[in-house]
Amino acid sequence: MTPSQARAPSDGPVLLPVATPARTRAAMTELLRPQRALALTAFAVMVGSTAVGLLVQPLLGRIVDLAADRASVDAITVTAALLVAVAVAQGGTAGCGLSLVSRLGETTLARLRERFVERALGLPLERVEKAGAGDLTARVTADVSLIAEAVRGALPELARSLLTIVLTLAAMALLDWRFLLAALLAVPVQAATARWYVARAVPLYAEQRTAGSAQQQQLLDTVAGSSTVRAFRLEREHAERVAERSRSVVALRMRGVRLVLGFYSRLHIAEYIGLAAVLVTGYWLVREGSASIGTATAAALYFHSLFAPVNAALVLLDDAQSATASLARLVGVTDQPPPPQAARPMGTGRAEVAVRALSHAYRAGHPVLHDIDLTIRHGERVALVGASGAGKTTLARLVAGIQPPTSGTVLVGGVPPTELSPVAARRTVALITQETHVFAGPLADDLRLAKPDATDDELRAALDRVDALSWAEALPDGLATVVGDGGHRLSGDRTQALALARLTLADPPLVILDEATAEAGSAGARALEKAVARAVDGRTALIVAHRLSQAATADRIVVMDRGRIVETGTHDELRAAEGPYAALWRAWSDTRDADTGP
Amino acid sequence: MSWLGFPKFAGTGCLSKLMGKTAPEGCVREADLPGRTVLWRAVREQRRDVALGALLGMGHQTGEALVPVLIGVAIDRGVVDGDVAGLLWWLGVLAVVYVGLSFSFRYGARAGERASVTAAHRLRTELIDRVLAPEGGADEGRLPGELANTATEDARRVGAVTMALVVGIAAATGLAVGAVVLLRVSVPLGLLVLLGTPLLLWLVHLLSKPLERRSETEQERAARASGVAADLVAGLRVLKGIGAEQAAVARYRRVSRDSLTATLRAARAEAWQSGVVTILTGAFLALVVLVGGRLAARGDIGLGELVSSVALALFLIGPLSEFSWVNAQLAQGRASAARIAEVLGAERAVRSQPSPGGPAPHRVAGRLRLRGLSYGSLRDVDLDIAPGETVGVVAADPADASALLRCLGRRADPDAGAVELDGTELAALDLAELRAALLVAEHDADLFEGTLLDNVTAAAPSRTGAPVTAAIAASGTDEVVRTLPDGLDTAVTARGRSLSGGQRQRVALARALAAEAPVLVLHEPTTAVDAVTEARIAAGIRDVRAGRTTVVVTTSPPLLAVTDRVVLLDGGRVAASGGHEQLVHDCASYRTAVLA
Repeated sequence: MTPSQARAPSDGPVLLPVATPARTRAAMTELLRPQRALALTAFAVMVGSTAVGLLVQPLLGRIVDLAADRASVDAITVTAALLVAVAVAQGGTAGCGLSLVSRLGETTLARLRERFVERALGLPLERVEKAGAGDLTARVTADVSLIAEAVRGALPELARSLLTIVLTLAAMALLDWRFLLAALLAVPVQAATARWYVARAVPLYAEQRTAGSAQQQQLLDTVAGSSTVRAFRLEREHAERVAERSRSVVALRMRGVRLVLGFYSRLHIAEYIGLAAVLVTGYWLVREGSASIGTATAAALYFHSLFAPVNAALVLLDDAQSATASLARLVGVTDQPPPPQAARPMGTGRAEVAVRALSHAYRAGHPVLHDIDLTIRHGERVALVGASGAGKTTLARLVAGIQPPTSGTVLVGGVPPTELSPVAARRTVALITQETHVFAGPLADDLRLAKPDATDDELRAALDRVDALSWAEALPDGLATVVGDGGHRLSGDRTQALALARLTLADPPLVILDEATAEAGSAGARALEKAVARAVDGRTALIVAHRLSQAATADRIVVMDRGRIVETGTHDELRAAEGPYAALWRAWSDTRDADTGP
Repeated sequence: MSWLGFPKFAGTGCLSKLMGKTAPEGCVREADLPGRTVLWRAVREQRRDVALGALLGMGHQTGEALVPVLIGVAIDRGVVDGDVAGLLWWLGVLAVVYVGLSFSFRYGARAGERASVTAAHRLRTELIDRVLAPEGGADEGRLPGELANTATEDARRVGAVTMALVVGIAAATGLAVGAVVLLRVSVPLGLLVLLGTPLLLWLVHLLSKPLERRSETEQERAARASGVAADLVAGLRVLKGIGAEQAAVARYRRVSRDSLTATLRAARAEAWQSGVVTILTGAFLALVVLVGGRLAARGDIGLGELVSSVALALFLIGPLSEFSWVNAQLAQGRASAARIAEVLGAERAVRSQPSPGGPAPHRVAGRLRLRGLSYGSLRDVDLDIAPGETVGVVAADPADASALLRCLGRRADPDAGAVELDGTELAALDLAELRAALLVAEHDADLFEGTLLDNVTAAAPSRTGAPVTAAIAASGTDEVVRTLPDGLDTAVTARGRSLSGGQRQRVALARALAAEAPVLVLHEPTTAVDAVTEARIAAGIRDVRAGRTTVVVTTSPPLLAVTDRVVLLDGGRVAASGGHEQLVHDCASYRTAVLA
């Protein structure tokens, strides 16, 4: 039983923390600090590029003036040549500026995600479990990629648009300050529209993402289970489930479309107001004699060229908002204290376990372990036996130091395992549960997680020890074969063999195995049992035995029932004692004769 | 503003990004008719919205083309002539145009998007219907993730073709309006813009192609960082179990740095590409202004016309670049339609034959006969199981077991021989009726989202009552229920991942027992439960199934001990048959198979 099942309904998942806006800002400043020079250069180049680009409209206006004055062809040619020069300068600086902006964004993003992964992997397992498995995964996938997208797409676009808007307005003011006033008439409508939009868009897009992943989840559920669906004739029900999720995705999508289109309709109003005002101002100023027709043209063209960046900037507002929310979730984790480094080293240096008066409850008032006393000597192999729910897994977790017990003590080599520093813990104890994972990448890289400096020969030796070398070398590229997600798929028993090979490489003196052979099926289970025996050879081992044949070969068997130890002894002693173990053994090997024993 | 200034549904407004096609056209064979059928059917079904969207889109593009023209006219008639009435008149016209373009944009885009999502939804449900069809076959050789992706992404892309058509028709209209206005202003200027703009776009395309190809591969490398991070977090328990956190962090840092290098290279390429586009567009604009300015200076065209032409030259880049976007969407849509057509047209694993004369579930006696059955590794297997009998099948080679189960569940038809239920060949029965009469509960059966009780009673005649309670008790699910916070009402997450392996297996067994099928075939139902519980379950199965035909395919001694007799399959044939205890004593290969 895993704690997720033992959890009470009342104390649902306690999500990992989310940083406050102030803290998020502070963390960002901190990340950007080492790159101040880069940030300033990038900003300056972008300003320069945008400013050069704003020379286009006055030059166009100048051509209008020249044409109005029936000026010489040469003057017009010179102005056109100036336009080409402006384009070259603008293109060159834009290329340079955008590279700098993306370098700033990407480098910062890389440092953020590295810090995040470091802290995330350092979180106590108990804390991650409390938050639910999905929380951390969602942060490391959805949130990181949302921020990455923003850094790659929205950030440069937003920077460029905002600069264009500000500088264009400045240029209009330079033509005549009254043009600026006319243009600003559009702002109240735009500001109101933006507020109206963001208030609705952010929750709506969050809803869309949830509905999208619910649909994906349902599709995977139905498609992956399609043979079960057919066997139990659940086809109609499942088709309806998928259709329902799809319908909700469609409905939310259309809601989003209506929202965005309403947004644009409002912006059209702002565009018209501003454009009309600029044209009227042009008329007035020309009549007054304070501006030329060319200037009026330039002002109108300036305003017309504002449409695109204004729309872009406003649309990006909600991207920026969701990216900020994601950032707060990442900073919430990076702000977690790093795992304690100065904890106590291993005490006696011997891999012995002492459990005294141990009781444990996942929720108050519902103890799952009562008053356990157990000593495991250095090098001893102890098997835990009992029905599901007897408390075997909980005992294994407490000995492994995943969490402190509610009362009583666990000492590994004289030190509570929860107080061992990560380095000492790594050298002392390994826990293998039935939850297996193949790390995506070459098989050798997967193994080297357990021992980064292992030579190829060491890897081969480890695989050979758990009887996995032959199949590993028969893979398409041998140990270099890419396995795991997106690579070569390994069967359940090979995945477990890989876990045992990692254990051999990590080489800890104390091993705790919890149902490591549970899912391999009967034929594979026997092969794995042998591999387990070899992997734990020479180590102190606490094995949650699934098949009794595994218990039978242990030095000592501990039988548990409803959170208590009810019997201990060797296989033969316990069989002779005619207690619970003997009954179990009979039930398991019903027709087995005495002489066909293990 | 162009349609493409609308990033939420029409891709990005960035000109350079629209130049390349995301899916090479070459990957779809021209002769791939079914794919094309899927595509055009999707469009045909949405023809009303497509037509409406296209019509309104044309209105919108006309309006967008007219805005710069009207700016020019307003300057000409109002500012140049100093005529306030003229200015106000043209501002009024501009207002009408704005209302028109805004309205047609709003409702045109809405119709187009509705067509797109509705088409995608219909394809999605059709795909799922095909995957779930009782005859099967569509999910063989395809990973679940791949199929789910086809049902979401490919369906979306095919749906998006309807929107692309709407945008394409609208863009063509914008282009035509711009062309007419320009040619009316001046034929040489008009020709310069109309011929120059496609040339400009082609040039940009040519220049950005190598850059783009490079940046695509680099973006793939860049995406690795997030993949590795998710993978490490998914394996967090394993990492912690062997204390490999430090090694994992070090590895991630390397990957992240490598990704960063690749991303920076890609971003640099993209930045310079955008710079080149700026230069080319600017140079083209200068050329138009040069020609237009000379014409205006000579008095061939008016000042307002010059302003209009310059503005139109800028505007036309929009609709023209939309063509390449539309083209890319069509290419993607074709490739996706081909994938959808492949799934829809997948060969059925077996054929369903509705037979009104076949046995109805309540009249099934439960005699199961294998007659000379050959399939996969099975060779000429004969077996006769009497109604109400409980038979164990031990397969020395797991391949024999899975071949047998495939035939019994009619996931495949035998190469030779037949399986008969009450004297009728399975192939002659309607699949739905057959599966109601003969339930094959596979070892790796999946649980689904819902409560525990929902899962147990998924195929049960009733949600409550003695049979359900008995199934829950017999399968050991009662113990699972006791440890769960909400008992039978506990929510089970997708694929039962919230339960442990042993819990999942017991719930799946309860579901099989609760279905009360006249004939039940169980495959290794207790591999993940402990020895004590296994013995209890064996007795439970025997009690619950008393009087009904039950076949247990297993090598587990406690289960075999409760059967009436056991059949040993070895080398694809029936090697021995008899009581469990008797076979343990007498048959060496049986002993190896179950007790070694």
